[in-house]
Amino acid sequence: MRGAAKWVAIGLVLVVAAAAALLFQSRSAPSPVARITRDGAVVEEIPLDQVAAPYTITLEDSLGTNLVQVERGRIRIAEADCPDQVCVNQGWISDGTVPVICLPHRLVIEIRGGGELDGAAG
Amino acid sequence: MAQPVRRAGRLTRLALLTAIALTIFLAEAQLPVLPIPGVKLGLANIVTVYTMFVLGPGDALLVLSARVFLGAVFSGQMMTLLYSAAGGLLSWCALCLLGKLLTREQIWLASPVAAVVHNLGQLLAAAAVLGSWAVLAWLPYLVVAAVIAGLFTGAAAQALIRRLSRLQK
Repeated sequence: MRGAAKWVAIGLVLVVAAAAALLFQSRSAPSPVARITRDGAVVEEIPLDQVAAPYTITLEDSLGTNLVQVERGRIRIAEADCPDQVCVNQGWISDGTVPVICLPHRLVIEIRGGGELDGAAG
Repeated sequence: MAQPVRRAGRLTRLALLTAIALTIFLAEAQLPVLPIPGVKLGLANIVTVYTMFVLGPGDALLVLSARVFLGAVFSGQMMTLLYSAAGGLLSWCALCLLGKLLTREQIWLASPVAAVVHNLGQLLAAAAVLGSWAVLAWLPYLVVAAVIAGLFTGAAAQALIRRLSRLQK
């Protein structure tokens, strides 16, 4: 491989290496807090290690409805009336690896202060 | 007479490429959804890469934008248009640049770069819609998936260009 192509290939390898490093990086913190935001504004903050009994929250606005289910240490969107159902299919999250996002409803549930599960990145 | 005929020929070729890209796009949309949103093979981009390197950036932009728009119309999800358009435009820019850098035998390398840039564009559009950078947590997953998928579509585009140029001789 010659010239520019070599640098393109090197750049690609570096980008993939950086991405892989981010995936396998692990952080640990004791008290996970789930933060629900809509349109960038915080709607609710739930300390997940203090949830005594499982409960659900219904989030409704002009864009649609999401049913959020909360249990000790984990949270998910159980039902949504959006067309793609990406947020529902993602299931439970219990660490800060990736947030649950309902793009059609501009809703984000992210966990802060929680550690990543070992092997969750695989 | 030659001028209108050449124009009609170009129009026909672009229409044909758009139809092929759209068909591939819609067929791929029927595949089951992966757990990570935004991860897919992106087979329609074989056509984009082919058009870019054989017919040029202008024609590639026409085919790409027609496919992205009609793809959103036919799949019934107009909101995805914004993300696809952002990703498509950014990867088109990347392909233009790579077209100047790479030789005809290195075209396969352009596709993974374009795929990564496409995902970046999509996520930036989603971040703008959400008003939150939270979506960027998906970027590492998407980058790894994009490079794998991009190498595959790149190899396919390279093979296509090689075969078709032999056919034209």
